[in-house]
Amino acid sequence: MYKNILAAVNEYSNSEIAARYAIALAQSSRAKLSLVFVAEEKKDKDLFARAHAALERLFIQAQKQDIEVESVTESGDPLKKIADIIRRDSIDIVFAATRREYREKRYFVRTLSREFMVKLPCSVALVRIVRLSKGYPKNILVPLRGQLTSLDERSCFVAKLAEAFNASVTLFHLHKPITSFFHGETLLKSSEREEHVPKDIEQFTDCLHKYKISYEKKSGYGVVSRAITIEAAHKRNDLIVMGASERSILTSIIRGNPVEEVLRETPCNLIILRPGRLHS
Amino acid sequence: MKIHNLEKEEVFHALLTSHTGLAIEEARTRLREYGYNEIKEVRRKPLFLRFFFQFTHFLAILLWIAAAMSFLSELLHPGEGMLTLGIAIIAVIFINAVFTFIQEYRAEKALAALKKLLPFSVRALRNGKEEEISARDIVPGDIMLLTEGDKIPADARLVETHELKVNHAPLTGESEPLLRDHAAFHGESIESPNIAFAGTTVVSGSGKAVVFATGMSTEFGRIAHLTSAVESGLSPLQKEIVKATRLVAAIAAAVGIFFFSIGFLIGRNFWDNFIFAIGITVALIPEGLLPTMTLSLAMGSQRMAKRKALIKNLPSVETLGAVTVICTDKTGTLTQNEMAVAKVWVNDELIDAGDIQKDDAHMLLRTAYLCNNARLIDGHYKGDPTEVALFQFARDKAGDFLSERVQEIPFDAERKKMTTLNTFKGKTAAFSKGAAEIILLSCDHVLVREEKMPLTEDIGNKIRAASHAMMDKGLRVLAFCYRDIERNEAGKLNAGHIENNMVFAGLIGMEDPPRPEVAEAIRKCGEAGIKIIMMTGDAERTAVAIARETGLVKGNPLVIEGSEMDFLRDEDLRKSLSAKEVIFARVSPKHKMRVVSILKEEGEIVAVTGDGVNDAPALKKADIGIAMGVSGTDVAKEASDMILLDDNFATIVNAIEEGRTVYENIKKFITYIFASNIPEAVPYLAYILFSIPLPLTVIQILAVDLGTDMLPSLALGAEKPTPGIMKQPPRKLQERLLNIPLITKAYLFLGPIEAAACMFGFFWVLHGGGWIWGTTLPQTDTLYLQATTACLTAIVITQIGNVFACRSSIESVFSIGFFSNKLIFAGILAELFLQIFIVYHPLGNRLFGTAPLSVTVWLLLLPFSVVLLAAEEARKVLLHKFKPSW
Repeated sequence: MYKNILAAVNEYSNSEIAARYAIALAQSSRAKLSLVFVAEEKKDKDLFARAHAALERLFIQAQKQDIEVESVTESGDPLKKIADIIRRDSIDIVFAATRREYREKRYFVRTLSREFMVKLPCSVALVRIVRLSKGYPKNILVPLRGQLTSLDERSCFVAKLAEAFNASVTLFHLHKPITSFFHGETLLKSSEREEHVPKDIEQFTDCLHKYKISYEKKSGYGVVSRAITIEAAHKRNDLIVMGASERSILTSIIRGNPVEEVLRETPCNLIILRPGRLHS
Repeated sequence: MKIHNLEKEEVFHALLTSHTGLAIEEARTRLREYGYNEIKEVRRKPLFLRFFFQFTHFLAILLWIAAAMSFLSELLHPGEGMLTLGIAIIAVIFINAVFTFIQEYRAEKALAALKKLLPFSVRALRNGKEEEISARDIVPGDIMLLTEGDKIPADARLVETHELKVNHAPLTGESEPLLRDHAAFHGESIESPNIAFAGTTVVSGSGKAVVFATGMSTEFGRIAHLTSAVESGLSPLQKEIVKATRLVAAIAAAVGIFFFSIGFLIGRNFWDNFIFAIGITVALIPEGLLPTMTLSLAMGSQRMAKRKALIKNLPSVETLGAVTVICTDKTGTLTQNEMAVAKVWVNDELIDAGDIQKDDAHMLLRTAYLCNNARLIDGHYKGDPTEVALFQFARDKAGDFLSERVQEIPFDAERKKMTTLNTFKGKTAAFSKGAAEIILLSCDHVLVREEKMPLTEDIGNKIRAASHAMMDKGLRVLAFCYRDIERNEAGKLNAGHIENNMVFAGLIGMEDPPRPEVAEAIRKCGEAGIKIIMMTGDAERTAVAIARETGLVKGNPLVIEGSEMDFLRDEDLRKSLSAKEVIFARVSPKHKMRVVSILKEEGEIVAVTGDGVNDAPALKKADIGIAMGVSGTDVAKEASDMILLDDNFATIVNAIEEGRTVYENIKKFITYIFASNIPEAVPYLAYILFSIPLPLTVIQILAVDLGTDMLPSLALGAEKPTPGIMKQPPRKLQERLLNIPLITKAYLFLGPIEAAACMFGFFWVLHGGGWIWGTTLPQTDTLYLQATTACLTAIVITQIGNVFACRSSIESVFSIGFFSNKLIFAGILAELFLQIFIVYHPLGNRLFGTAPLSVTVWLLLLPFSVVLLAAEEARKVLLHKFKPSW
């Protein structure tokens, strides 16, 4: 599915770790990898050198894994330059790291990762690194809701990533409790919850079958973001892969935004995938 | 590959660092990337918002509307007393909000206790130089220098070790220090000897470690995350309160709208209809219910404290009564945690410990004494209970063995044994102890009557059989062996070399007897339909034997070991947990949360015991987390709902009995409170339907609901447990607090008698004053004031009979002891004093719109109270007659 993958690298260590996921995906997808560093104008020499060192290490690692790789250094506006490369090289997906949990900043001030998410004309995998040592996931948690968009790409992304790391996958579906005015919430037992699993998730599992990825289905309930992070912490998952939020800023302010909340509280590394089709 | 699988150089590569540590600038960058190394609380709704929400639920909104309309009326018709009413309604909203908030609020202190386990500073390499830096500033990639006494601030991969021993107690509960090693390890990271975890302490030796996780990303942070993120949700009682208030508010709104419409249709003016609508709403809403319930729970928690169960949050008092499953530790909870040697296998014989002579078991006693870290300090034995038991036994039987320890290969979970090297009289010998199966693998000889014999398969089988026989009696069994070390072995003194060709010295079985009161408590649980699941670190046979001895299991229980559980899928574990008798053996606290989660998903109300730091998530997840008051850590205590002051299982069962009593008592005072809603509502119906003067004002209703009813209700909350309370199964969660029998009894049986009394009082006074049907009376008319006072007094008097009627829903008040609850009489006395104040004191008259009554009115109303009690007694007689099984 992915033929050309781009990893945005900079002087931060988390971008290097994030790029390792891109390397893994490139290997399992047999895709070409572009490691790209775009130097902003005011960067000092030290930062420049660190970014270059990271590029070099990643390049060597990719080569060792027999991946067709190129290293690109540009200067200027990262968003614009990367968008140009995407168009020029028909990039399918961009990997970029995001830092900590400045929710307000992400919303109200321009952040590069948010700009990537919103404006890049291809799929984007935004990676938050909280543990350097978990760059090689063995169990991946994939929270799913009903009515999934871009089902093919999502399932393929997870399957290829799991294949690359020989990792198992836990598909985690959250049920809304049945509520009534006089009886309050009624929590379904696990056997009853199985009956309410959306059909989309079955299609997702078909894809995992296709790639021979071992998986487990789990269901839970409660506040979405809280349930996901508790599950990941409890089961010691190494990586969470979830879809990007489709909520508008206004909806997010009023109803909250589970993706942003997981981004803030995640106990392990996190990839937020925004499929390309969504953007187009 | 994970970090513990990697070789030293690969570790540096993976963590983007080098053996000289991070450069200062890089460390700063990483601090921006990964944040401070600190434990943070998961974000919750701010306290003010949680308090604010108490004013926005359905009932509160209904009352806000009523208050707003009262103020509007005051504006349009000043001087009608609607201002007072509006203020009173707002006061009711606040009172209910405060009491609900008190129930729901729970101070979060577990994380503060966790934070105390992390150090303030650490020595690290930056730019190749050793620096003392704040533990908060440590980042992934930093190299820490560890020496004896250091607390470790972050998860780190060891790259250099020199006899480094670390105490993992906060993470695993294991008090024995573990030897760490920097070599690559291929197993689970949590068991890897090359990882130093945050929150643990260096006991001896030194080492260097590269930080790979900080703050909430550490294993310690994982515990903190689960402890602060896991929310056990509303308790069963809180859920019931929500349902009950919605139901009552809906009834009040529906009745109000219905009769408002009727009033409108029959041509009453808007003003009269409006007074009616507010009155009926206030009458049907039990304003005093939440304060009474909160105070009743507080009283319940006081009673539990007297029985050595300290309750930390009020709703837990009732939740205890709904518990369906208890997951309990064994050691110290079911047993006394006083280990003593009971049996010894030596010289091919199984002997009672008391019969052992020094000469029979010289080498066994020597090994038990020397391969041991317990000590006698100031006449007291100090150390792990198992080691203390062995040390004391050996010392009692053979005195002190003088020697010098030259080396120790400590116990660890992987090897399941411990070895020491000791010198005495110029000779060196190795002594080992551990699990029988493991020790046997190290031996090729066995000592029988001072003679070394080859350890044949036959003897090996005999030893295994003896070990199993002891375990089947509930004993914890350890095997012992030794060997002399020759001078030419000096250069090879590592575990692989020493622990070979050893001589088997014998087995020692230790017992930790069950607490005497546990068997009875377990029997009670059986009768009460509560399932008990034992979760112990002990071996299967020992666990099963203790379970049999205490009556916990009667058939063949399903035993699941921790290692087995790791590979069980949730679905399989779910099926296993549905077995009648289940025991978890050789499990660690990490398994508890999984069991609790699955049980909760299956709709069980779960109580779980715990004492260690890593028990905290399970304690928070369970409906009732129970921490050990004596042996528990501060973190466990802070994460729990209840603390056992004596660590005793029987105390849990006592608390459950109290919890069930509290729920039963809540139903009693709800019946009591709801019954008085009918005499409060009927006057309004009469007012709207028959165009009579309003017999009872809204302020007078509030005088009953928030005044005279309160103390008798609380007294009902203090009723003693009924004898059969622990012989019934746990109440079903589908069972409603406000169920049809309760509402029927309150609204259609007791309430109408009270309503008859209050209408009688009202008309008797009016008639005596010369009132003629159809005429109106000014609200300031003394006759009118006296008539409403009579109506109010009738409610108060009949509530006296009602309080006795509600003391038991099944048994006659005379059979449970008319005077057995002294608080009832105190409550009635207080109720009467308050009513006398309202009726006869000028201030009471002014506040509540009342006027003094003659004693004759009181005497005329008294028989209604007697009739009410007699009617209820008659109902109970009929109940027994037609439903003898009750």
